[in-house]
Amino acid sequence: MSSRSPPRDISIRSLQQGWLGRFQAMGSPCELLCESRTRSAARQLTNLVAAEAWRVEDKFSRYLSGNVIDRINSAQGEPVLVDDETANLLDFADTLYELSNASFDITSGVMRQVWNFDGSDTLPSQEQVSRVLARVGWRKGRWVRPTLRLPADMEIDLGGLGKEYAVDSAVLILRGHTDTPCLVNFGGDLAVTGPPQQRAAWSVGVEGVAEGRADRMIELRAGALATSGDARRFLLKEGNRYSHILDPRTGWPVADAPNSVTVAADTCTQAGMISTLAMLRGADAEIFLDDQAEQYWCRR
Amino acid sequence: MAVVAIEMARTRKNEQFISVALATATCTLLGSGLPTPVDAQEEPSWNINTAAFYYGEDGGRVQDFSIKAIAERMFVDDRVLTLGLAIDALTGATPSGAIRLDVPQTLTQPSGNATKTVPAGEYPLDDTFRDIRVALTVNWQQPFGDTNLFNVGASLSKEYDYLHVGLNAKVARNFNKRNTTLSAGIAIARDQIDPEGGIPTPFSSMLDVGDLSNRLGTDSKDILDVVVGVSQVVSRNLVVQANYSYSYSDGYLNDPYRILSIGDSVSGDTIPRTPPPGVEGPSHEYIFESRPVERTKHSFYTQAKYYMNGKVLDASYRYMTDDWNIDSHTVNLRYRWPLGASKFLEPHLRLYSQNEAEFYRLSLVDGAALPAHASTDYRLGNFDAITLGAKYGWKTRSDNDMSIRVEWYQQSGSVPANLIIGNQAGRNNYPDLNALIVQFSYRFSR
Amino acid sequence: MKSTTIITATLLLTCSGCASLGVEPWERDVLAKDEMQLNADPVEAAIDDHIYFSKEASSGGRGFGGGGCGCN
Repeated sequence: MSSRSPPRDISIRSLQQGWLGRFQAMGSPCELLCESRTRSAARQLTNLVAAEAWRVEDKFSRYLSGNVIDRINSAQGEPVLVDDETANLLDFADTLYELSNASFDITSGVMRQVWNFDGSDTLPSQEQVSRVLARVGWRKGRWVRPTLRLPADMEIDLGGLGKEYAVDSAVLILRGHTDTPCLVNFGGDLAVTGPPQQRAAWSVGVEGVAEGRADRMIELRAGALATSGDARRFLLKEGNRYSHILDPRTGWPVADAPNSVTVAADTCTQAGMISTLAMLRGADAEIFLDDQAEQYWCRR
Repeated sequence: MAVVAIEMARTRKNEQFISVALATATCTLLGSGLPTPVDAQEEPSWNINTAAFYYGEDGGRVQDFSIKAIAERMFVDDRVLTLGLAIDALTGATPSGAIRLDVPQTLTQPSGNATKTVPAGEYPLDDTFRDIRVALTVNWQQPFGDTNLFNVGASLSKEYDYLHVGLNAKVARNFNKRNTTLSAGIAIARDQIDPEGGIPTPFSSMLDVGDLSNRLGTDSKDILDVVVGVSQVVSRNLVVQANYSYSYSDGYLNDPYRILSIGDSVSGDTIPRTPPPGVEGPSHEYIFESRPVERTKHSFYTQAKYYMNGKVLDASYRYMTDDWNIDSHTVNLRYRWPLGASKFLEPHLRLYSQNEAEFYRLSLVDGAALPAHASTDYRLGNFDAITLGAKYGWKTRSDNDMSIRVEWYQQSGSVPANLIIGNQAGRNNYPDLNALIVQFSYRFSR
Repeated sequence: MKSTTIITATLLLTCSGCASLGVEPWERDVLAKDEMQLNADPVEAAIDDHIYFSKEASSGGRGFGGGGCGCN
């Protein structure tokens, strides 16, 4: 991935109805839309948000050495003591593992070693899949707060949680700092501090199948939106589209997953998890989503 | 079977539990307390605005039943496709332009196929005014950048004796933090007139039944309209706009069914006439009107909308002047008065006055030279009009807008003294108009 | 036409004075309401324009569109 130290600067642009602060974090283009009165106020808020995004990235990225994730992944079977914030995330991952019947598993990251979603038709063999599957399984480790002990060849990856968590965290920081209405958007996972002043709602475009072009607009006054989807990452073999959503119980991609699921919820973390859980249900995504209270937009 | 049902019910309950458990887990993760509930709505793709309306003049005159719909299809980036449809069913009669007499009058119908006799003392009305009209409009709105808006559209309408085709375009640009908007638009149209029996030669006589020797077939007119305008936000509660419009028409501008009576120079009564034996025809002398082949109009329009603590006052004024020597003033006042959260009452007052066209006549004079142009069309005359009514609106259960509007429209005019001859003075010469307007509207989004 | 010159001049003067009038972007809450739009009900406006175009000598002023009819 291209997230190896991209430049950490921010840019501020004036919009018709406010300001747009932009920076790169967690491998995605990140934005802050705010209705500040001046450019310097917008810059100050963007600095706050970017600082939090980079803090979360530095702490939980699996690419950086020396952070808590690196210590866990190179512990070679030894127990690792983690701080409160990390413990909170691991508790959350644990709950999700239960709620999803083991289909959401933060130890499943190692499967990317045999699955390469580049649009080609290179599928791994069953033997390769079985071998990597032996290193997957949250219950193979032992999590008793505040200590995590993983088998030597296993790793955790918080990538499935990190962005949404960072969005919610940034929103909390903004709320504590200012009354200015803001929208925080990290690569399509977004949340607002409240309704805008200059118009009735924040207008968010949901990307359709045609990449880069929004074909539905959602009016957001409070809460968050998150999208899970494979619009760009898939393999195509014999006409079957293998989505990049892997089922950690089988080692294979989830069958019949929707192209994308967008969910609106109170927080970005909830929205992100519901959309992820829906994708993991494959053909039953809509049935699952219908049973939840949240609004969703599902594209097949 | 029951076991399966219970099992399924339990599974659904478990499923719903996921949302709740997730919400709780997220609260714990973020340590932030109860979040604000989400408020997200998909923007509608369609806004549809429909209305059914009735217009009815008293005295057996024009009645119009109409259905109108405007559908806007919104696309991302503020592009909008607008489609409009209007269907009108017109019946009733309209004054033909002949003056009232103390004796009955017989006139040939516009088709040239029959006559109609009007009792003494009545306005000769042309009651072949039965028609269905269909009008279509289409418009595309395209923004360019943050400050520019471009509109292009076309219009088409058809009725039994009339066809209209038009194109229009408009650009608008906003300045000054969107407080000022300048706009300019242009419209061109070609209208084709194909009246029953064919267009009568201007100033030709009304002929006997079956005689269409004075008919010219069809004709057309071209219209050019140009509008420039500015709208300005004055304060948080007040927005104003001002427009200047220029309109130029060229071609057949007559009303093919309107006539003038030829009156005696002293008594003013229409000269009688006897049709040839065995033939039906007019009982008096009438000729078809003749208007200029060009008309240039200038209009100045200004409007203000003022918000006063929930109530909205909408006031506008328009001044029109043209080269037919008509000047008109229009004042429109609307006051929107909310009743609770979802209802409103909006009384409306419109005041209008115009003076007569330079070639407006009550009748022509026998023996005098024909003027360059002449018309008795009451709509080119000297009159005041008032519209008074109110609209009541409410929100339906599905949060859509409905309203009903009832208004009275009254025209009362007078013929300038210098146009009245002899016995005409004793009569009420202007065919005053009293009409009822009822409109029901429904607006919804999809 | 003399009156045209006067009115155009007035419009231009109004525009030049416009720079000092107006509201900040965050003060547009009232102006955003449906009932404060200059053309709040286009169907009703079209109906009225059509009625008065058919019964009087003046027309439009606010804009144009919809097309003519055989009624004037």
